[in-house]
Amino acid sequence: MSSLNDHRRFDADAARAALRSKRGPALWRSLEELADSEGFLIWLRDQHSSIAEALQLDRRGFLKYMGASLALAGLSGCGRPPRGQIVPYLRTPPGQIEGVPRFFATCVLRAGYAHGVLVQSRMGRPTKIEGNPHHPASLGATDIFGQADILQLWDPDRSQAISHRGDAAARGELDAALLAMTAGFDRDAGAGLRVLTGTVTSPTLSAQLDELLTKYRGARWHVHQPVDAANEFAGAQLAYGRAVSTRLHFERARVVVSLDADFVSDPAGGLRYAHDYAASRLKLDNTASRLYVIESAPSLTGTMADHRLPLRPDDMSRLALQLAKRLGLSVDVPDDTDPERRRWLDALTTDLEANRAASLVVVGPSQEPWMHALGHVLNAALENVGSTIDYCEPVEKRSAAGCTLSDLVAAIDSGCVDTLLMIGCNPVYDAPVDLRIAEALKRVPHVLHLGLYHDESASLAEWHIPMAHVLESWSDARAYDGTASIVQPLIAPLYDGLSAHEVLAQLLGEEVTEPSVRVRRHWCGLLRDDEAWEAALRTGVIAHSTPPPLTAAVRPGFRLAPTLRTSSEDALDLLFRSDPTIGDGTWANNGWLQELPKPLTQLTWDNAALVSPALAARLNLRNGDVVELSLQDRTVRAPIWVMPGQAPQSVTVHLGYGRRRAGRVGDGLGFDAYSLRTTTAPWRSAGLRLRKTGDRYALAATQHHFNVEGRDLVRSGTLQEYLHDPHFATASDRFAGPPPSLYPSHAAGEYTWGMSIDLNSCIGCSACTIACQAENNIPVVGKDQVSRGREMHWIRVDRYYEGSAERPRVYSQPVPCMMCEHAPCEVVCPVGATVHDSEGLNLQVYNRCVGTRFCSNNCPYKVRRFNFLQYVDESAESLKAQRNPEVTVRGRGVMEKCTYCIQRIESAHIDADRDDRRIRDGDVVTACQAVCPTQAIRFGNMADPQSMVARAKASGRSYVMLGELNTRPRTSYLARLRNPHPSLKDEL
Amino acid sequence: MAQLFDPRIGFYLRLLALAAIAATVAAIAAWRAGTDYHYGLGQSADQPVPFSHKHHVGDDGIDCRFCHASVETSAFAGIPAVSTCMSCHSQLYTSQAALRPLLESMRSAVPLHWERLNNLPDFVYFNHSIHIAKGVGCASCHGRIDTMPLTARTAPLEMQWCLACHRNPEHYLRPKDQVFNLRWRSADQAALGTQLLHDYRIDKRRLADCSVCHR
Repeated sequence: MSSLNDHRRFDADAARAALRSKRGPALWRSLEELADSEGFLIWLRDQHSSIAEALQLDRRGFLKYMGASLALAGLSGCGRPPRGQIVPYLRTPPGQIEGVPRFFATCVLRAGYAHGVLVQSRMGRPTKIEGNPHHPASLGATDIFGQADILQLWDPDRSQAISHRGDAAARGELDAALLAMTAGFDRDAGAGLRVLTGTVTSPTLSAQLDELLTKYRGARWHVHQPVDAANEFAGAQLAYGRAVSTRLHFERARVVVSLDADFVSDPAGGLRYAHDYAASRLKLDNTASRLYVIESAPSLTGTMADHRLPLRPDDMSRLALQLAKRLGLSVDVPDDTDPERRRWLDALTTDLEANRAASLVVVGPSQEPWMHALGHVLNAALENVGSTIDYCEPVEKRSAAGCTLSDLVAAIDSGCVDTLLMIGCNPVYDAPVDLRIAEALKRVPHVLHLGLYHDESASLAEWHIPMAHVLESWSDARAYDGTASIVQPLIAPLYDGLSAHEVLAQLLGEEVTEPSVRVRRHWCGLLRDDEAWEAALRTGVIAHSTPPPLTAAVRPGFRLAPTLRTSSEDALDLLFRSDPTIGDGTWANNGWLQELPKPLTQLTWDNAALVSPALAARLNLRNGDVVELSLQDRTVRAPIWVMPGQAPQSVTVHLGYGRRRAGRVGDGLGFDAYSLRTTTAPWRSAGLRLRKTGDRYALAATQHHFNVEGRDLVRSGTLQEYLHDPHFATASDRFAGPPPSLYPSHAAGEYTWGMSIDLNSCIGCSACTIACQAENNIPVVGKDQVSRGREMHWIRVDRYYEGSAERPRVYSQPVPCMMCEHAPCEVVCPVGATVHDSEGLNLQVYNRCVGTRFCSNNCPYKVRRFNFLQYVDESAESLKAQRNPEVTVRGRGVMEKCTYCIQRIESAHIDADRDDRRIRDGDVVTACQAVCPTQAIRFGNMADPQSMVARAKASGRSYVMLGELNTRPRTSYLARLRNPHPSLKDEL
Repeated sequence: MAQLFDPRIGFYLRLLALAAIAATVAAIAAWRAGTDYHYGLGQSADQPVPFSHKHHVGDDGIDCRFCHASVETSAFAGIPAVSTCMSCHSQLYTSQAALRPLLESMRSAVPLHWERLNNLPDFVYFNHSIHIAKGVGCASCHGRIDTMPLTARTAPLEMQWCLACHRNPEHYLRPKDQVFNLRWRSADQAALGTQLLHDYRIDKRRLADCSVCHR
């Protein structure tokens, strides 16, 4: 493996030379490709020759194996009809039609905030999650985590038993212990009782916590969320004198300025923000919105920007202050000397002033409180409050002052904590390292841990209680805008897990009741009768629960107190971000998320220290070099990944890796960035020392896989170009329309299925990839197989760079099967395993496939995937229950690919044919289309000119990939448009 | 000492072995071609309750959909819940020994485990509801179930057998009101089938597409 990585050598000078010599659109996928080094070509060749070398066969051996396999294949055909049993219900549940899936509205949680979902239940088995169109945070979409929740539910590594000091214990023993504890609390008013949770938005849980703190006056509740919004609340406190939650309205904004805010990935409102932002770009005229992003670490929001400026954190703060000064605030800051930043400030100032009440300044959670306060003041000055931004009462329950994790550790140190209950959090892994929480916990006599996994914190607890999954329990939760929803269970707890409500009720000495009763009792005000309650359950939203906007005015006498530092040229900043695919570490044991190529880096199964190309060139670093990152006396070893667009002199590390007790999937992957993170510097530490060790580490990145050799695959232009020539995207095509063909055309069927993907809306979040994986039973193959180019995703999200390595433009392009009308794969299959059907779908018939892989070889889009090994886990019982019974589970030696979700097409066909009607537009929604937060993917009957897909394809921006090959793809793309400011060059 | 065996004996032995293999293969092929045994045709299974379709359908005249309730709406025809059986058998024949497993199932809340007769491989996606909606009668696949005291399989359920109808559905279609009538026979299927194919708007072009049954 190390030799494989050695070829991935990046030569910065060669890259620059290559760029200088190029003209016109020049897209590149990786720095190695840009430099076009010889090593890259060798690596690329190796990638495809590895199979041939695996098996050295002579002619006799070959004939022997062929004979044996033929004989065995013949034998397998002699079986009796498959047998089985049918086990009917004792009583059929009301509303259940056997074999027909049902959907239930509930919520999944992201950092405590609700995302409304509809969960598909097949005969009582939750199998797939879709977004809830009625829920404000979802609008029908989910993020990657929402999709992966279903795998987490069925994860065989979930904690399955109560344990006491590591030994399995019975429920009765736990009950007795809790009873003894509550008796103690009754005596001393809970003086030694502490409860630690993550972010709480559940009104019922808040009420229970309040009740607990009232009943036991000595008890305290602490909050610990490793990646939280504490800076935002502190900023609001500064500006408004009170904590408020902020709600952004991108659909009304014409100019958006992001200061390190990756708002499309925001855990609470990101899905909605992405939707609203994409909507503001749909109008292709002079009212389209413009996005400026100033950030240190490249983010998805940055890839969407019309203008992006990578800056070090201190320079960013300075620029923000200068902007405030230009907009007329009394800020004491010297003007910038850098000509480029001056041009930026000019453009920003004119744009913001021209769009008063229709602009938005967004500040990211990594920024210090005063920056958030500055954002509030700027938005107020620009009259945006009430238009593009409004405030409401804090959505999450705020703990009393002095109730952070640090306060808890201080209390433990002073010996006044007797019992600690941890609910759904894992501080031993993800607490700031300076708190030394593991040592502190050893000094607490009774530690109880309620969690989904027997994780790092559980291993130090006296009692560990398996927690009921969110799909197994009754609860409630609020969305980013405060709208409340009921969380209802889809299935009884698989492992007798308890919810937070049940454990708190036991501490409160409540009688055991039906779990739904507690939630219902809490909402008896808004949901008075059965009808209202059932409506809330059915729609997934509690009507009239959204808090009204607050009128927040900037505190009189508010003075901005910026802390500006000037860091020297050589000093390095370490930036902490939660991992794009496994979050803060909560999702470490999820194979789908581990194998999902991380947007931007395309890394799988690992995290890395991301450095800018300039820094890499200066320190002579290349991808896979192991370095030591040191802050004060703490050191971790991390592999390097050179990240185009990273701010100079800054190193980004992603939290969430280096888990020690995550489970069989997540243990021991990557390095633990938490071991450098401290209470005082949770987002950014200055004074990083970086030392090259000389060791190499093999990283599995998919960015070179399925390389298409620099053809014109992603097309983009500016809004002005589009308005000048709406057909600019196809202007360079060699043929107008499909060229003549020797192949006969297929007769048109009743429907002509096709897909259109709008690159202007696509944010590159990869939710489509995970939704496809969940829908189509796609296996996880592991890091070793990924590094051989054998990942199985049916829809991949390609990432292209354009321009310089320091400040590239980034494009994301989802690539499913193109469903070519003249499909190159079909003509080379010797056994007819890939054939056309009468509605123009290019089918893969698994049972005919003998695994020659000719089709994959002949596919110009590289969308076919081969089961080189038995990837599907057929042994884990719980994983069987997760799979979609409508899709065949493929075995070893079979080719597979995107089917346009044929099972959904067929089910719509059957429903329509049964009712003797035609399939309506919107009846067939593919999994990738359903999940997309920005509705970038359209699918339907192209033959119907009124269908959404036909209208999309009629746009001037529509183009097909590699049209000159005359494959006549059914999947087409809409070109990306940028909307640059006239006075700023549309520069690279 | 002279050799016991002629040098050519090895060759004859091999020839004999080859002939024996060929004969065995031929015998198996002939047996498969000549009998239905390997399809399980006409064979019933040991069921927890010796349920008689002849009694319930043929003698009592209970409609198929009373028990197979989801046959018009779902891929799966539905096997009656124990409570459906109990709607009659809480009163009728409660003392019969044969019904004891049913009563026991209700009492102990352990569902009955029926042996499956008509089962398709996992890569085949058959849907009852669309066949019913397009006028394919129960009897076309399940035979004269109203004459079977013990239920047996009547169709080989091989792909060839499915395709015989999917390629030429007109040979099998019937009026929608006769779908559940097991005794119905057409006087002139050729004319009726062609008419129904048109009336039901069956798109013959796609009926033999792989995607119709395999996903």
